[in-house]
Amino acid sequence: MISYNFAYLDEQTKRSIRRALLKAVAVPGWQIPFGSREMPLPYGWGTGGIQVTASVIGETDRLKVIDQGADDTTNAVAIASFFKRMTGVDITTRTADATIIQTRHRIPEHPLTENQIIVYQVPQPEPLWRLIPERPVAMRAHALGDYGTMYVKLYEDITRFGRVASAYEHPVMVGDRVLMSPSPIPAFDNPKMDRMPALQLFGAGRERRLYAVPPYTSVRSLDFSDHPFHPGRADGTCTLCGSTTSYLDEIIMDDQGTRRFVCSDTDYCSERQDAKEVTP
Amino acid sequence: MSILLQATGLNKRFQNIDALDNVSLTVSRREILAVVGESGSGKSTLLATLAGLQTADAGRITYYGGDRPWDIGDMDEMQLRRLQRTQWGFIHQNARAALRLDVSAGGNIGERLMMNGARNYGDIRETAARWLDEVEIGRERIDEMPLNFSGGMLQRLQIAATLVTSPELVFMDEPTTGLDVSVQARVLDLIRNLVHKLDVATIIVTHDLGVARLLADRTVVMQGGAIVEHGLTDQVLDDPQHPYTQLLVSSVLPS
Ligand SMILES: Nc1ncnc2c1ncn2[C@@H]1O[C@H](COP(=O)(O)OP(=O)(O)OP(=O)(O)O)[C@@H](O)[C@H]1O
Ligand SMILES: [Mg+2]
Repeated sequence: MISYNFAYLDEQTKRSIRRALLKAVAVPGWQIPFGSREMPLPYGWGTGGIQVTASVIGETDRLKVIDQGADDTTNAVAIASFFKRMTGVDITTRTADATIIQTRHRIPEHPLTENQIIVYQVPQPEPLWRLIPERPVAMRAHALGDYGTMYVKLYEDITRFGRVASAYEHPVMVGDRVLMSPSPIPAFDNPKMDRMPALQLFGAGRERRLYAVPPYTSVRSLDFSDHPFHPGRADGTCTLCGSTTSYLDEIIMDDQGTRRFVCSDTDYCSERQDAKEVTP
Repeated sequence: MSILLQATGLNKRFQNIDALDNVSLTVSRREILAVVGESGSGKSTLLATLAGLQTADAGRITYYGGDRPWDIGDMDEMQLRRLQRTQWGFIHQNARAALRLDVSAGGNIGERLMMNGARNYGDIRETAARWLDEVEIGRERIDEMPLNFSGGMLQRLQIAATLVTSPELVFMDEPTTGLDVSVQARVLDLIRNLVHKLDVATIIVTHDLGVARLLADRTVVMQGGAIVEHGLTDQVLDDPQHPYTQLLVSSVLPS
């Protein structure tokens, strides 16, 4: 039987990724190149996030993996079981119990703490890529902090959709200096990034870059003075737990096409349902 | 008239070609200067060098706008970018390449404002609308993608997107070349009206002496990277002194 190193990657690779992560923490939001490895998953399945997690995970960690807010989607289950096999760490669905949370598309509703690390899977780390497709030119914009062009996208969003928040991946300024993509999370989650006590790490496997937001760093969503940033949320109530504040998914309940809202964060929702059953 | 831009002793060599050979010139405030000459004579190289888009091997460019004279070679990258996007403008021959075809007309005009720090959507939009009227595209097309605009409309959009910050000095490289003749006349007319209305100094590169005649107060003639003749446009075109200019005028302007 083949034996793998703890967390799959060899120690040297993990060390080089950790060195890149230290640079990333030192310059919040700045994209750091790293030697992305072949992973037993195709790009687009979170290889960047997996490599970051593999580099920081230890035997005593408890890992939670979510995809679109849910722990039980195929992708989340595959990544969790991969780490279970490669590290033996406990997998948990409870946000509060996890020490590392790897995520795609959401930040948990439960506020994160100083004792936690959240690892985002990032398809496209460059927020300027549509507006400045030439990488060296985008790099100059970052170097100079010359970001006015980014507002063209916001202008177009308001013009087309009537409000400033694109539904997801809404660009942010980190530490009042670096323009950053928050990864494809909904704009609703952007405010959670601001001065978050947990360490936030971002990994883009195909683009071979990673970046970080250290604890308590300011993260501001771009907006216009007459169109302030508005974290979008469906105006509804969760059918299952009654939450009026969580981010909701719309689902079709039956053959008649009845639509209901339920929490996108399945752990948050079930915790609230449990609490109701104990104290009716 | 006070000098706005002064270049002295510009040299630029590509491999074994002297694209600029000891070029000196001045442009005054509100003046329109045409740069004419045959293909390969160094017109575009001169314009791009004056505009800070490429650097000369030797020579000096001083800009007397703003609050104090600036030696372009001494400016840091951000200072030069600010100058280029506020007090200067550059209009390229190929509007299609210069504009964002997947961004609305309003967004194209607004970009320069946003790059200069504008952060009020309503103001940006109103300014863009005014400029669409100004260049006769019409404000009702503000949300249209320029993808299907005609060549003339695209060039008029580029003009709006450049003049929106009311620059003091605009560089134009063959702004009407490649357009249908009938369309050319309309764009030239627009340029003439706008530069006079806004009192913006202009350096326009053209190989069309008719364009120089129509627009320019003064004209410089380039050959092989050097300026071989310069003077008031009427003088240069009606009474050319240099044999090369005489050749240009006689072959292009039969009258
Ligand atoms: N990037 C470059 N590399 C090498 N040679 C160049 C470069 N740019 C220009 N040249 C050469 O420098 C000379 C001047 O070119 P330039 O483009 O300035 O001429 P032009 O007067 O604008 O011509 P046209 O009317 O065809 O646009 C030409 O011989 C050209 O081939
Ligand atoms: Mg040219």
